[in-house]
Amino acid sequence: MVGSPVLLIAIPLLAAFLIPLLGMIWKELVRIIPGLVLAYMMVLSASLLYYVLENGPIIEILAGWRPPLGINLVFSPLTGFLTTIMTFLGFIVWLFSYRFKRNVEFEPAKKYFIFLMMLIAGAVGIVLTGDIFNQFVFIEIVGISAYALTAFYTGRNAAEASFKYLLMGSLSASALLIAIAIIYSQLGTLNMADIANNIHLMDPNFKVIALILFIVGIGIEAEIFPLNGWAPDAYTEAPGPIGAAFAGIVVKAGVYAMVRMVFTLFDVSGATEFLLIIGLVTLIIAETTALRQEKLKRMLAYSSIGQMGLVFVAFGIGTVEGIFAALFLMLNHAIIKPLLFFSGSYLVFNSKDKKIKEMNGLGKYMPMTAAFFALGSFAIVGLPPFAGFWSKLSILTAAANEGMLLIIALILMVSVVEIVYYFRVVNRIYFFKFDKASTVIPHKPRINAVFAMAVLGILILLIGFYPDAVTGVLHKASDDLMNTQQYIKNVLSLGQTLTN
Amino acid sequence: MKKFIVIITLATLGFYLGETFYELGFGNARFEHGVKDAYLEKTVSELHVANTITSIIVNFRGFDTLGEVTVLFLAATALGGILYKKKHHAGDRSVLFPASRIVMSGSKLLFPAVILLGVYIFVHGHLSPGGGFQGGTIVATGFLLMLLAYDDFTVSHHVLSYVESFAGIFFVLFGLAGFYNGGTFLENFMPVGTMNDLFSGGIIPIIYILVGFKVAAELTGLIYTVLHEKD
Amino acid sequence: MDDKIFEIMQFGVYTASILLILIGLYAALTKKSLIKIVIGLSIVDAGIHLLLVAIGYINLGTAPIFSPGYEDTASKMVDPVPQALVLTAIVIGFAVTAVALSLVIRLYRHHHTLEIDEIKNLKW
Repeated sequence: MVGSPVLLIAIPLLAAFLIPLLGMIWKELVRIIPGLVLAYMMVLSASLLYYVLENGPIIEILAGWRPPLGINLVFSPLTGFLTTIMTFLGFIVWLFSYRFKRNVEFEPAKKYFIFLMMLIAGAVGIVLTGDIFNQFVFIEIVGISAYALTAFYTGRNAAEASFKYLLMGSLSASALLIAIAIIYSQLGTLNMADIANNIHLMDPNFKVIALILFIVGIGIEAEIFPLNGWAPDAYTEAPGPIGAAFAGIVVKAGVYAMVRMVFTLFDVSGATEFLLIIGLVTLIIAETTALRQEKLKRMLAYSSIGQMGLVFVAFGIGTVEGIFAALFLMLNHAIIKPLLFFSGSYLVFNSKDKKIKEMNGLGKYMPMTAAFFALGSFAIVGLPPFAGFWSKLSILTAAANEGMLLIIALILMVSVVEIVYYFRVVNRIYFFKFDKASTVIPHKPRINAVFAMAVLGILILLIGFYPDAVTGVLHKASDDLMNTQQYIKNVLSLGQTLTN
Repeated sequence: MKKFIVIITLATLGFYLGETFYELGFGNARFEHGVKDAYLEKTVSELHVANTITSIIVNFRGFDTLGEVTVLFLAATALGGILYKKKHHAGDRSVLFPASRIVMSGSKLLFPAVILLGVYIFVHGHLSPGGGFQGGTIVATGFLLMLLAYDDFTVSHHVLSYVESFAGIFFVLFGLAGFYNGGTFLENFMPVGTMNDLFSGGIIPIIYILVGFKVAAELTGLIYTVLHEKD
Repeated sequence: MDDKIFEIMQFGVYTASILLILIGLYAALTKKSLIKIVIGLSIVDAGIHLLLVAIGYINLGTAPIFSPGYEDTASKMVDPVPQALVLTAIVIGFAVTAVALSLVIRLYRHHHTLEIDEIKNLKW
């Protein structure tokens, strides 16, 4: 073992404070240090995950006070799995955006990499923490980094998209605070395990109101309908790699928080059904809207929202197979969507409007980038033998086991819609004629970008051909989520603490 | 039309919230076992710190404070990033009209007093109401006063940046020191002394002083960035 | 007499904070000027902080500070936890307001107006 979970948050923080100072010594350091930190986080997270899969969850206490007095971090198969995906993706985003458009200049680069690092550290914090107020603080960390990154480009639309995001994020944070106030006033504690243990003592009316406020609060990060109005604009105006980071990292943290609320903390009956319905509504509305989009990144944003809706449907099924399917979907989405954003951002690199119409015939001039985009498209709609096929299959199986035929029908219909709008783009890239009037000037990606995309592509193929490589982890993680009593026992009796 | 819908929604929201909180009651402890009794007891017996809130913020929930300090740091950086400047103009201030005689002479008198008050508050955070955030804000107010009164009062941006960064670095390093000293992150590893002494509470006053400096530097930098925003 | 005052106080504090929240929300959701929206968000924050602190009040309690000579008055103190939460929440709310205002400044730089109707480049 190389360390302990708190270092996954403390080290990026330390690096963020150090970068302004070190940047004055050697300018290139502002790019290199975040890369080293993210690589370290990835390695640490993976090794901790390996340990936890063998030996059981790690509960780390902070400031020397045992829960419920102090704050604790929980590194279990579920949280560890999510953390590993997020840190891995963080490293890939760093690799891709080493020098990308505006961050070739020093000042913007300094800020870009600090915010990127804190975005990932914050998301990891949301997932690892075992305390609801701490989660709120990390949600705000992710929020501010996201607002700043959305406004990174200097055009006029970026600031507007960021302001919209800020407005909605601020309101949701307020809802979250009121929910925390209600919970604290009834139960006297802020620790998740303690709350889960005592939630039956709470008056049902208060429980429902607190749950609703929590859903409004976290739903913004998790992009459920109708709280996702900010997302298309934010994803479009943010730099391509940041869109990838939002879709692959931030949303996952939001989904985790939501699911932790519903499954572990609250014992309100009907909550999982609510997730199912909300997921369906989000899925259908998002995918049909994606059909009408003209701008590439906006289309990808709506597709992303739709996929998250599908994830909620899977969680909403309520069985262990459903959770397994949801986690598998999250894993695949986390790998495929960034690939689409990466290749997409190079395909429309020189375009002012980033419209799909301007991508005619680029397949001939940017063979690698176009191939990656095509690969991503095939994977995300669920074609075998790519990764997305297995996750779609698992959700259909889970739904079938519960006899939810309507859900299966809806998912299949939506998949058809997905195929239409993705293949439309692929068709344009390969089979339309490139002509100087309506197509953008191709811009070949840098070598580090190609490498980043290649890594994701290889992973897609790997999972596609050998899904068993990841199913073991996924099964353990899904068991972990279902088993609330085990979670409570682990934290309150301190499972396995890590001491140095 | 839109206003009407908003008002209806807000009225329902207000109704439900009101109902919830009136049910909750006011001024009575509603839960049998909660963490607050343990906090109140341990802050006297184990931490020897008089101000319970300080001990909660810096020690029991120190991780939250670290997150909060990070949020402030990110906000200050975001401000610099969002209000990007193409070239560095020196001495470019957006001032509508110069300050009056009274403001100018009054500020000169008040400035040292305000700074002293702020520093007093964050040094005595563990003994009396106050602490790093409150004291730091007061110090920043003193600087704001001088910046508004005098056109040519400058604070070196580099110094602010250094103070900010170093304070943050030391906060995390103190946490890691607790970690590597065989304990957990942010554990109190220094001797706690007797209660109500200036040097009591182990690392708690030290961290709060660091936080005070950081907040003061950050807020002053924030004000500085916005003041130099010229059309 | 004390009970009467207490009832009025109870009614008053919660009502005031909920009113603040509603007024702030109204401003944030319906006003057309960017600055007014940001001010609305700020008012919502104020209301919520008030609400949080009010949650922690214990009848006839004093501040949770053990001044010399009062070391064993723990039973008569108000709940310190919501106050600590509010301290953090105030700082975070302030940070978000600062970022919001900087975005307003930048939007003003581009469009030279603060009304949303004229800035609506993206679909609101």
